[in-house]
Amino acid sequence: MKSFFRMSYPYILWIALFIVAPMVMILLYAVTRSGNGTITFSFTMENFARFLSDPTFLKVLWTSLRIAFLTTVFCILIGYPAALFIAGLPEKRQTLMILLLTLPMWINMLLKTYAWRGILMNFEDLSSEIRVFIGMVYDFLPYMIIQIHTAIAKLDPNLKTAAYDLGANPWKTFLKVTLPLSVPGIISGITLVFLPAVSSFVIPKLLGGGNYVLIGNLIETYFLVAGDWNFGSAISLIMALIIILSMYLTKKLDTTAKEE
Amino acid sequence: MKKGLTVLLALVMALLPLAGLAEIDPAEFKGATLNVYNWGEYVDMSVIRAFEKEYGVRVNYKTYESNEYLWLQMQAGDAWDVIVPSDYMIERLIANKMLQPLDKDIVTNLDQLAEGVKNLPYDPDNTYSAPYFWQTVGIVYDTTEIPVEEMEAQGWDAFHNEAYAGHTYMYDSSRDAFMVAEKALGYSANTTDEKEIQDAWEWLRTMHRTLKPSYVTDEVIDSMAEGLKWMAMVYSGDAAYILSENEDMAYCTPYQGTNVAVDAMVIPANAENPKLANVFIQYMLDYDASLANSQEVGYASTNARVLEELSGPGGDYEGNSAYVPRAGYEKDEMFVDLPTEWQAKQPDLWAKVMAE
Repeated sequence: MKSFFRMSYPYILWIALFIVAPMVMILLYAVTRSGNGTITFSFTMENFARFLSDPTFLKVLWTSLRIAFLTTVFCILIGYPAALFIAGLPEKRQTLMILLLTLPMWINMLLKTYAWRGILMNFEDLSSEIRVFIGMVYDFLPYMIIQIHTAIAKLDPNLKTAAYDLGANPWKTFLKVTLPLSVPGIISGITLVFLPAVSSFVIPKLLGGGNYVLIGNLIETYFLVAGDWNFGSAISLIMALIIILSMYLTKKLDTTAKEE
Repeated sequence: MKKGLTVLLALVMALLPLAGLAEIDPAEFKGATLNVYNWGEYVDMSVIRAFEKEYGVRVNYKTYESNEYLWLQMQAGDAWDVIVPSDYMIERLIANKMLQPLDKDIVTNLDQLAEGVKNLPYDPDNTYSAPYFWQTVGIVYDTTEIPVEEMEAQGWDAFHNEAYAGHTYMYDSSRDAFMVAEKALGYSANTTDEKEIQDAWEWLRTMHRTLKPSYVTDEVIDSMAEGLKWMAMVYSGDAAYILSENEDMAYCTPYQGTNVAVDAMVIPANAENPKLANVFIQYMLDYDASLANSQEVGYASTNARVLEELSGPGGDYEGNSAYVPRAGYEKDEMFVDLPTEWQAKQPDLWAKVMAE
């Protein structure tokens, strides 16, 4: 046991350097004013107050949450039947389908988004929001399908046979057996889609036609254009809190589903 | 003997500038890497390749989108050999002692500069900077949708004209956006008056609400060349390219006045290869490189001969109203560097306009 623990040292070092340290720096920036010396800090909460008291920022936050939520819902609506269909195929075909599904993920997201820009250019009437929405659903859908597929594929086929034996029709079998047991897959799918969607900034920038601002774009602006790292960090931190909260909620959903 | 040689060498070196040319031996730089950081879509890459070949060096050529971004990276300590900031940013870099003087023995081509870019206020004697391209900010528009007289009569007020709603691009640059608003209101583009900036902000918000413009950067060039929208705020050099691609397009330098801007090559104080940087600047200022670059990107050359030839009879930009920037108009201004508090405040206000 002890020697196993020793093997995790590099991993712990990695986490400390590349995950914990940046988070601490963001926290530090978020609660200080600009122009700090290396030793003296002037602590403040005004970065948060500035964000929360400005209707423009709150509107952007709301838009980000809304589009991430819609993206997740649509990914489930499209992803679930797709996963169910794939899981119903013979094993060899399943591998092929999953390969086909993951294939586009090998291509850089930026490239795919540019391609969508070209495609959507032909549809002038679409609003910016719909364009961004299409791009997001396209980009994040594979994550959802794969998670749900994994959950369904590992279900014991005997469970279904048992349900049929007990007189349940296919629809009822799905509702009472397959769906409840695949909830963990849906939940990890939600985590993998909602979180990147809510903080995405490349897709709105490229597909939004230049008038669709999400929270990720705001963070980018304050870091790269305004050079206001303190306020940018505060927005990032608010974002991180929302993400942690939503992870906690989905986790909770997961455990209640399991208890049932 | 050895000492005698040194003295001789020193003598030769001392006399060289008198002869008017510092002979550069390309072999001296063999294998070196030159880090060049320039604006996007701002060079003819074959010029860079030719330079690499002539001096046996590798040019690590990267691009940026805004002066502010460049400034942040320089503050983070990034080392470049040649960068091409705009006038007001050069002023800030000089004030912060972040540039080193040009070696005038190497950079002799400054005598070929066009009239419009001589003795500029941010660096009157070209101690630190060698002008690369220059421009005005104006409006490129589709004459089949907006007649010439209509646009000329409106100038910047076109950005408050409801009739163009949904058909407009606005360049996503806080400094330029505020310039447009301030000029439209009759203020100076360098104002630091609290009330005037508030007015300008209100002006921009009204623009946002009435026109719902698309906020873009370099993609405006191709989009307007394709005629996707009716009008756009652009830099005159981009406009020159757009006009040459699409004959329906015209360029308006608003009568309310605008910003005249110069992007100039400078050498950061922390450059690793300053001598080669000087050689590079000299190379870029020369007739051949200036011609190729200006032909490729459409910005007005700072080389007097190139400017004249390209806009004159038979030139690439003959009859192109955007190519030669308006010079000497009393309402036009160059940017000066804003005080620190406004450097962060303008982007903040601008971000809120776009997010509204």
